[in-house]
Amino acid sequence: MFKAWEIFLYPNPALNFFTTVSRTCLVVLYLGFQTVDGSAGLAPPQQVRLDADKETQTLSVTWEDGHASTFDVEILRTELMEMVLNETVGVTEDQSTGKHQWNWTSPVPLECTSLSVKVRSRDGQDVSEWSSQQILPGLDLPDNTDSQMYPEGKTVPVGSNMTFCCIVEEGQQFGSLWYKDTLVKENMLSRRTYATTMTNQGPSNPSGTNVVCSNEKKMIIAGAVVFVGYPPLPSDLVCETHDLTSVDCQWSKGRDTYLFGMTRQTYYTLNGRNCPKARNSNMRCGLEQWDGNWTLVARNLLGEFRLTDAAELGHRVRPVAPVNLTTPEVYSWNASVGWLWKDKGFERLSLICQVCLSGHQTYTGYGLNTVVLKDLQPDEKYSVKVRCGSQKNFWKWGEWSLPLSFQTKMDRSVAPDIWLWMDSDNLGRVLWKPLTKSESHGQISGYEVILWSPEENSQQTLTLPQSVYSLPINVTDLGSKVTVTVTARNPAGVSLPANVVIPRYLPDAEDTAISKVAFNGSGFPLSWVAHANASCGYVVDWYNTSCTQDCNVEWTRVAADNTNTMVQSGNFFAGVRYTFSLYACSSESTVLLERWHGYMQELVPSRTVLRLSPNQEGADVQLTWDQIPLEHQRGFILGYTVYLTNASHLTLLANITDPQLTNHTVRNLVLGSYKFTVKAYTAAGEDGGATVSISLEPYTYWLIMEILVALGTMTCLLIVITIAFTGFSFSIFTILWKTMPGTGLICVCFQGTLDVKPSPHSMVHIVEDSVWDSSKEALVTVPEEDEEGTGDEAADTDEPASLRYYNQVVEEGSSSQRRPHASDSSASSTGSMDSGHTDVTYTGIQTSACYRPQMQSASCPEEPQTGPEEHLQPPVGSFGGYQPQCSWKQDSPEADGDGLDQTCLGSPTSVTSSQFLLPYDTSEEGKEHPSSASTWFHNLLTGKP
Amino acid sequence: MADQEHIEIDTLLDMPAPGRSRTGRAAALARLLHQDCTYLLELYRERESLLSDHTPAGDRIVSLSLSSPDLSSDEQVQLLHSALRKCLGLLECLILREEEEMGELEGEYETVRKGVRDRLGHLLHSTKVLLETEEDVTPDHQCNEEVDGVVGTFGAKMWTYRVLLELIHWANSASQTLHVLHSEREGREDI
Repeated sequence: MFKAWEIFLYPNPALNFFTTVSRTCLVVLYLGFQTVDGSAGLAPPQQVRLDADKETQTLSVTWEDGHASTFDVEILRTELMEMVLNETVGVTEDQSTGKHQWNWTSPVPLECTSLSVKVRSRDGQDVSEWSSQQILPGLDLPDNTDSQMYPEGKTVPVGSNMTFCCIVEEGQQFGSLWYKDTLVKENMLSRRTYATTMTNQGPSNPSGTNVVCSNEKKMIIAGAVVFVGYPPLPSDLVCETHDLTSVDCQWSKGRDTYLFGMTRQTYYTLNGRNCPKARNSNMRCGLEQWDGNWTLVARNLLGEFRLTDAAELGHRVRPVAPVNLTTPEVYSWNASVGWLWKDKGFERLSLICQVCLSGHQTYTGYGLNTVVLKDLQPDEKYSVKVRCGSQKNFWKWGEWSLPLSFQTKMDRSVAPDIWLWMDSDNLGRVLWKPLTKSESHGQISGYEVILWSPEENSQQTLTLPQSVYSLPINVTDLGSKVTVTVTARNPAGVSLPANVVIPRYLPDAEDTAISKVAFNGSGFPLSWVAHANASCGYVVDWYNTSCTQDCNVEWTRVAADNTNTMVQSGNFFAGVRYTFSLYACSSESTVLLERWHGYMQELVPSRTVLRLSPNQEGADVQLTWDQIPLEHQRGFILGYTVYLTNASHLTLLANITDPQLTNHTVRNLVLGSYKFTVKAYTAAGEDGGATVSISLEPYTYWLIMEILVALGTMTCLLIVITIAFTGFSFSIFTILWKTMPGTGLICVCFQGTLDVKPSPHSMVHIVEDSVWDSSKEALVTVPEEDEEGTGDEAADTDEPASLRYYNQVVEEGSSSQRRPHASDSSASSTGSMDSGHTDVTYTGIQTSACYRPQMQSASCPEEPQTGPEEHLQPPVGSFGGYQPQCSWKQDSPEADGDGLDQTCLGSPTSVTSSQFLLPYDTSEEGKEHPSSASTWFHNLLTGKP
Repeated sequence: MADQEHIEIDTLLDMPAPGRSRTGRAAALARLLHQDCTYLLELYRERESLLSDHTPAGDRIVSLSLSSPDLSSDEQVQLLHSALRKCLGLLECLILREEEEMGELEGEYETVRKGVRDRLGHLLHSTKVLLETEEDVTPDHQCNEEVDGVVGTFGAKMWTYRVLLELIHWANSASQTLHVLHSEREGREDI
């Protein structure tokens, strides 16, 4: 500013003197103004004084003579001259004292270190000089040598920020500061003082939160505890009376304060009176008299909270418990209960009372002190308790009284629930259910059963002990209409009789159609058309369908006006078929109306179909099987599935949806081995499946070759035998003459065997258990499980163990039989077969009735054939079976149309010899002109040329 | 493991044990007390979030010395008995102050604390029997904050810390002294 003025004055040197004088005057003038505006206008504050409230960390600064309303305040940490505060504040003068006072709350405890304070007046931009500096001494001065930490033992709200300082003992080295178990960063406030600030503090545990100061040796040199919590926040103050005089107030504690101990816990007052018993979870307080208005004050170090309540006495009656309960009168079905009141006021109050017996029963009355309990059960123990409330302006139920026990008297029992289970027309069982405690009305001592017939006018009476609940009966001599009556006896007498007319015995599948019923999760829902003759209702009984004797029979009764019921029982099991029978019951008869079958849960069958077998029919294979037994079905069989089994892979061939159909034909198979699996299925799925195997193989060439070899050998032997026989024939015939019984014929049978052992690799075997087939081979199938179980049989053949098929060479009459033929004329052949050898036994040629070719095309009247045998007869011309080498039928003149007698006329003697089996010649030529070898052989034996 | 040992020792102490001497039982009791005191301090540190290497400043509270070579075993037991009486007094004072400060809590710390007080009483009775004199078994401490130098809440905690350390020290001393006494007396009986 001064330089500006110089620039302004210097340009006119002629006026230099004047300028000099003028400049001097301006300077003096300026200085004079400056004195008036500054130092002269604002006086500095005088008599500055500091007062500290260390608990609240508040510093109070007072001064005089400020003559201003705005002041600059400067606070420094004395030792390190660090600025703590430099602030302009507005402070008005206290007119009464003429002093200015300004308060400042320090974030740092005032004990931590010394503070220097000075003040100056301000008026806009003008300020006075600073007041003299005042010092608030800290506790880190050298004369306080001990270690200390501040603030100590403070209680603050959750979320507070706090600064803690540690004053290290003179001569010691500061180490670290810990808040709980957390090392915190410190600030140095002075040579000995270190501070840390914690923000947003969480709630403390009961002993408070520790702040620890340690020296460099980790020794605790000072520490402080801070209690962080909440002010009280109770709720739900409710006052009531229990005795019509005093008041009892209760409230909820509300939020936890986290403050414990005598100093910091919450204290309560009710209408100004202390509530010393209100602690922990028992928040209640009482007053001797009913005031009508109540104020609860909850207070702790962090604050207080008020709750109020107001009510008239009559609106807040919660009676104390009645006392001295008694039962003046006790009967079988009712009893009376009385009680007393400790407070006489309740005797003049309209009360509503609850009696807890089995469920709550409510009674009302003026001064109520006795009630009659109805609908009790005889011979029953009861425990009763009572509580009451004010009937008018009901508030709350009072306390329950102590319980009182009593027992009602006995009474006659109810009539037993009886039923009849007939095993046959005359035999059955009378059944009755054990009486429950609520039905027996006293200990049952026994039962009496009476069978009487109005037709025969006869009666049978039996007395049974209390542990018996069924009785076998025989009504053979009691006529067609028999009524059974059962009564129960207890100390109070005999029950009413229970009657039932014996129903007619009707096993399943007789007269009554059987329906299926499905379990619906809780039971079997049954419904039916109302029956006119059901005056005493309906009975549904049920039992395990598979059960044959001593079955567990259950039943339920349905009222006459009902035509449906839900059959429920704890004895239903999955996979068991139950039979439900509905009877109409009247005093005259018991009539079966309807039957159902049902499963609680259907399962897959527990076993496979039985006797699964394949029959080859040309290029087809017919599979037949038997049904699964009922107890193994475990569900309603819905059908069967037929699979072709290839290793573990199953190929579905057919799904038979008719469960009654137990066969299936697989058609157009090519030669080879097959495995078939048949599975029965229910709603739950298929069973494991039964498997059979069959092999369709060409065998004709092998057979022809073997027969030719055998034929050649046989021819040679026969020539030799014939030559020898010619010499000795006379003597042999003499010996062998026999009379044939039953026919009147005399036959001479010479029987001999000629065994020809086939090639070990031959596929031709003889077994007795085979089914003759129209094809050129007869087959025996062996189920899978059997194959696995019999090793001996496998050892007899070179074929694979799972495939054993045997050609069949048996007499025609036994072709359809599965078992060994004891009456077979070829006994030796049978023996050979039984031995398991692969030998082919060719029985001797027989004439007359002693001989039956395997494949005769004409029937023998003396041995009528059964249907299946006839069915198995191959059609002429297409037959691929065997014939005797020398047939005595069509190609035998003696056999033509003359019957059996004529067949024996060829010769009075019969030469039994071995004969070979050859396939029928399917050609016309072969039919009409048997092979020359066989003709020759036949002629040789019969003596024909 | 520690619990199992407690049970075994308790069983030993409670049984008639014809072959077990009074000194042996007292030594076992002192060993058990030492374990309890150690566990109590552990619980205290846990409750107060104090690090195990943080030690309180201050001198020993019970300033008796058993290490003088001139003391006989009986004199050592006598001295031990006196120290244990002071410890019991300190412990009862500690319980009183904590209950005032925090109310009557029922945590594990409080349970163990009560157990230590009971066992310390039993040990006092045992040492009295060993001394065969009419020794007093009542707590020997006036619960006075000024005397104890307890200033402020944190000061009370540090005092508690020191008392617990004192209990460990004297329980350990009792265990060792009684073990030595037991060994001496057993040896003498053998002779």
